[in-house]
Amino acid sequence: MYLPEYYEFCCRVKIIAGHDALEKIPEALEQLHAGRPLIITDKGVSAAGLANIVTEAIKDGVTIGAITDDVPQDSSLKIVNQLAGMYRDNDCDSIIAVGGGSVMDTAKGVNIVVSENADDLMKFSGAGALKKALKPLVVIPTTSGTGSEVTLVAVVKDHERHLKMAFVSYFLLPNVAILDSRMTLTLPPVITAATAMDAMAHAVEAYTGLAKNPMSDANAIAAISLISDNLLKVIKNPSDREGRLALANGATLAGAAFSNSMVGVVHTLGHATGSVCGVPHGVCMSILLPYGLEYNMHKNAHFTGELLLPLAGVEVYAGTPKHLRAEGTVAYIRKMNRDIHDATDGGHARFFEEVRDRDGRRMVPREKLEDIARAALDDGSIFYNPEECDYEDFLMIIKAAWEGAPLDRELIKKG
Amino acid sequence: MGDFKEVTAGNKPFKKAYVAIMLWFVGRAIQAAARVDKDVKKEFEKLPEDFTFCLGVLPKGPYMIVGKNEKGRVKYLGWKPGGKRIDLDMKIKGIEAAILMFTFQESTTVATARDRMIVDGEVPYACAIVRVLDIGEVYLLPKFIARLAVKRYPVWSFSRKYIGRVRIYFRSILGY
Ligand SMILES: [Fe+2]
Repeated sequence: MYLPEYYEFCCRVKIIAGHDALEKIPEALEQLHAGRPLIITDKGVSAAGLANIVTEAIKDGVTIGAITDDVPQDSSLKIVNQLAGMYRDNDCDSIIAVGGGSVMDTAKGVNIVVSENADDLMKFSGAGALKKALKPLVVIPTTSGTGSEVTLVAVVKDHERHLKMAFVSYFLLPNVAILDSRMTLTLPPVITAATAMDAMAHAVEAYTGLAKNPMSDANAIAAISLISDNLLKVIKNPSDREGRLALANGATLAGAAFSNSMVGVVHTLGHATGSVCGVPHGVCMSILLPYGLEYNMHKNAHFTGELLLPLAGVEVYAGTPKHLRAEGTVAYIRKMNRDIHDATDGGHARFFEEVRDRDGRRMVPREKLEDIARAALDDGSIFYNPEECDYEDFLMIIKAAWEGAPLDRELIKKG
Repeated sequence: MGDFKEVTAGNKPFKKAYVAIMLWFVGRAIQAAARVDKDVKKEFEKLPEDFTFCLGVLPKGPYMIVGKNEKGRVKYLGWKPGGKRIDLDMKIKGIEAAILMFTFQESTTVATARDRMIVDGEVPYACAIVRVLDIGEVYLLPKFIARLAVKRYPVWSFSRKYIGRVRIYFRSILGY
């Protein structure tokens, strides 16, 4: 087990996980001396009936101060201020966020406004601006992927001033994260696959990256094992409650790992592909993950090789000679992608050429690859990647990932 | 009340002086490299017109500031951030961490992994400046040390590596 000379790790979120975890919310709020939450969600979540399941589960134990599903796709300052007003008008004393990344970002933004009595949220952006604990925040993720339920950042856009405000503080960590199988039970297989592979990428990049440490490693290993054991099962049988709960746990574990140990080139290129071509983040992650591992292999093959155990199980691991395990890990992840591709009737893309939007149009034209490589140069996640990555390196990786051919490791510059 | 001498933690004059000299040299070398090296030149061209950045040590320095002037020329702007608007602020968390970095006992990579720096400013700026600093290190340091400082020691042409190095050394010392 690798032990750095120095590291920091912090994840002080209470996790409540189970098939009936929602019912525990009133008790969890009571422990935080709260009982009148504002429930924040979005239209998609409430249309799927998930907000209803939450209110049904808690309505006997708490007084719901107010409920809103007004969160747009992108968190915005206007909505944050509006919801803060709603919080005050209804004498709320806590916040419950039900949804994905933008709902959680919005809820964190609202929490800063109502806790700090802020008239200008901007004053609290950047590191170290928040000095004290905020109001109790309970988050209920409705996908198993981003890990936002255990991260300490929030991004809120100010559309009028064209600003993107980033907030980073341990005080932004939610007090409680609820993992309940009912919240992801209706998630379509293709989205389930992409979001779970995002979580997989978080765990794998945290484990193989520069800022790894034993705490993150333990979380990452558990995450990889849960996701690997359950993803295909859930895709073939979406109403598998045990499997759904396992994926939710995997995503949160991966979130704890990467929010402390960061990610690398898979995310660097993934962010770039997302911003240039609009490809969903999870789709980028599943395609790029094997390439990132290949690219870094001359630096961290021993760590990559260790992942064959949680991925493939003890028999495969023990049956693979040590020097072939890293390649075994890459091959295993590629096979996962192929199996998911088959199980979703081709809905899950294996390489970028194959990615289609809702109307069946190709999302990543070949002539955009240079733009993607250029955009990757502006992404900070590369700092934690074991190997250096310049424009040509990014281009080489994204080209291979577009075609679906393995990376030619002979061509990687090794310095 | 009696007059008590204020006790300042970590007042280590020799270490501070060493880091201050290194920072001074790095600042002047960046100014020189922006004239001599095409990649550094390109990185600065992409940055905004009056871009400034500060590299320093918490809590009280030393610092060095580099920026672009009205004519777009990259200049070493001294060691006092006071009053200047800084677009990218990179701070090493303490003098001990700075010593580890500037005596090359700890590579930049490891320092990043151990969270030795606080970076304030737009991420794309930070990416560009880290690339500039890496190139600077390859120019200034002998290969066996620079290998510790950068993730991947680059393959450069003879003229870039040796003639470029001489030009940058001269310009750093003479300050033009
Ligand atoms: Fe991700």
